[in-house]
Amino acid sequence: MKQVLKLRNLKVVFPTSYGLIRAVESVDLDIGDRECVALVGESGCGKTVTSQAVMRLLETPPAVIRVDSIEFDGQEIKDCSSKEMQEIRGKDMAMIFQDAMTSLNPVMTVGNQIDEMYMRHQGDSKKEAREKTVRALELIGLPEPRARANSFPHQLSGGMRQRVLLAMAFACMPKLIIADEPTTALDVTIQAQVLKTLRGMQQGCGTSLLLVTHDLSVVASIADTVYVMYSGKIVEKAPVKELFTAPYHPYTVGLMAAVPRLDDEKRKFTQIPGTVPHPARKPSGCYFHPRCEYAREICRKEMPPLQSLGGTRKVRCHYPLTAGGESHE
Amino acid sequence: MSEILALSNVSVHFPVKGGLPFFRRGVIQAVSDVSLTVNQGETFGIVGESGCGKTTLANAMIGMVKPTAGQVFFKGVDLNGLATDEFKKMRRQMQMIFQDPYSSLNPRFNVYQIVSEPMFIRGEDSEEEMKARVVELLQLVGLSADDLYRHPSDFSGGQRQRLGIARAISLNPSFLVCDEPVSALDVSIHAQILNLLVELQEQLNLTYVFISHNLADVKKMCDRMAVMYLGKIMESGGSDKIFKKPLHPYTQALLAAVLDTSFDERREQIVLQGDIPSPINPPAGCRFWQRCPQAMQGCKTVPPDLVEVEEDHFVACHLVNGFPDVPLPEGFEDPVPKQDSQV
Repeated sequence: MKQVLKLRNLKVVFPTSYGLIRAVESVDLDIGDRECVALVGESGCGKTVTSQAVMRLLETPPAVIRVDSIEFDGQEIKDCSSKEMQEIRGKDMAMIFQDAMTSLNPVMTVGNQIDEMYMRHQGDSKKEAREKTVRALELIGLPEPRARANSFPHQLSGGMRQRVLLAMAFACMPKLIIADEPTTALDVTIQAQVLKTLRGMQQGCGTSLLLVTHDLSVVASIADTVYVMYSGKIVEKAPVKELFTAPYHPYTVGLMAAVPRLDDEKRKFTQIPGTVPHPARKPSGCYFHPRCEYAREICRKEMPPLQSLGGTRKVRCHYPLTAGGESHE
Repeated sequence: MSEILALSNVSVHFPVKGGLPFFRRGVIQAVSDVSLTVNQGETFGIVGESGCGKTTLANAMIGMVKPTAGQVFFKGVDLNGLATDEFKKMRRQMQMIFQDPYSSLNPRFNVYQIVSEPMFIRGEDSEEEMKARVVELLQLVGLSADDLYRHPSDFSGGQRQRLGIARAISLNPSFLVCDEPVSALDVSIHAQILNLLVELQEQLNLTYVFISHNLADVKKMCDRMAVMYLGKIMESGGSDKIFKKPLHPYTQALLAAVLDTSFDERREQIVLQGDIPSPINPPAGCRFWQRCPQAMQGCKTVPPDLVEVEEDHFVACHLVNGFPDVPLPEGFEDPVPKQDSQV
């Protein structure tokens, strides 16, 4: 399969007065053509920093980025200047942010904001750009697109604003879209609408999607491949169906059990004990061992490598679980 | 079971600011004509999308906003009939846990100051008593005495929410309103906080009103529940009855919108069209007709009443209850064409 993004050995470090914060540690990421890859983890696990490092949206300083290679669409972009990156961002690689209210300009009509994309990247005149904008808004399923293009962000509802961001991201038919928690701020019924639109657009336009989220139920409904991140490291990688039917890492199992389900009759909520370690005070050995019920001596001392386990699956655990939830010896 | 809280025909309207003089200003009908009862010792769930009036209703329950019409009875006493100091005494028995643990704790207070503030305001305890009580409360919610002089910024979101809970139960209330207590937290922390709430309920004999938009949480937590849409109750009653047999099309759509992590059986997806309309000019008939997949012509003009269909199960929908005995427009049972209902 053709690779759209090939990320090798990404490290992001923030030096602070409390000590070094290693936000991302040696992350490898592969996104195929027309593939939807999800990056899942709790807050503070480094998933947003990873996506921003790929987009080069991190301020350096304070961030220090070290990476072996970022290959985007067959082209090495690790050493691109910020000017070259500006050409790529928006045109070939676009981003959808979590909070539509703060990522749209409140004093510009949404139409003008989308027009800018076409004028900047495709050299269109104002008039041509507006025609394309209206078509893009129509495609995304916004009712009365021509009138809506003249409204300001505050005149739209949360779901409509998120749709405007979708239209903006898909404007120049990019090769890769990074969606950072695109539905977290929305209601359940609107979330279902937006996810359906996002999936439809992604398949219709042939775009690859990197979905950053903490919600496994969103992952289950649209992703193809899943990377689970914990405390700056990838702990498991698997095709979505295999991950949900047979998770290998105890953390993945815990995350999945923590999602409450409608068909569950138990009164008690299943919980992962403890909290994510502070990024400046990570434990020795496997980062997950203080919260892991299967932890043994070796887990406290040695960080397990990310080993391949059949097919495309990878797991970072000394004792990966089998399908029955039993520990491998 | 005895009832602890009863709302009778409560409406809360907010005037819209601005507009030209001599013009009628708009009114936001945040809550209109809601009646419900909460029994002693149960968890009562309120579900709905943002902007449907859940939080306003909760605020009206504990007297934080004054209802425009209707009465709130707490333990048989009408809250609005009370003098200010009597109301303050009553208010000690009803407390609230807020949605966002980041903005509901004063960042300049330490843990002791945050948790002891309700006792400090009551002014009946000495410094030592308050300190001992705070330590006891911290242990109750799973924090330790070492945390006494730390500030909110030293804690994670889940721990902050524990602080908010400790503050809410510091005066031994009997009634707690939990306004989306976990929606600002990570999925893996949800379970910890919800389990804590369940444990505290058993230990301290609390009654909860649990506001949420996550139906799976509500199903586990609540004994009885109400589904709200645009300020009105669409369906209410025992939660096992509602989850087993949801009658209102809106409840059905909400249930279908809950995403699942299982791959075995794909449930049928009902994706609702459009957004929740503005509560400034709510639709005249059923408030849901514009988005309802089964709307009829009569739904546009005739508002449905909340009718008891079986024991402890109320529904406000013409589909279920049939149209009432009032003058009806012609062809009232014809379905509303699809493009007409798009908002």
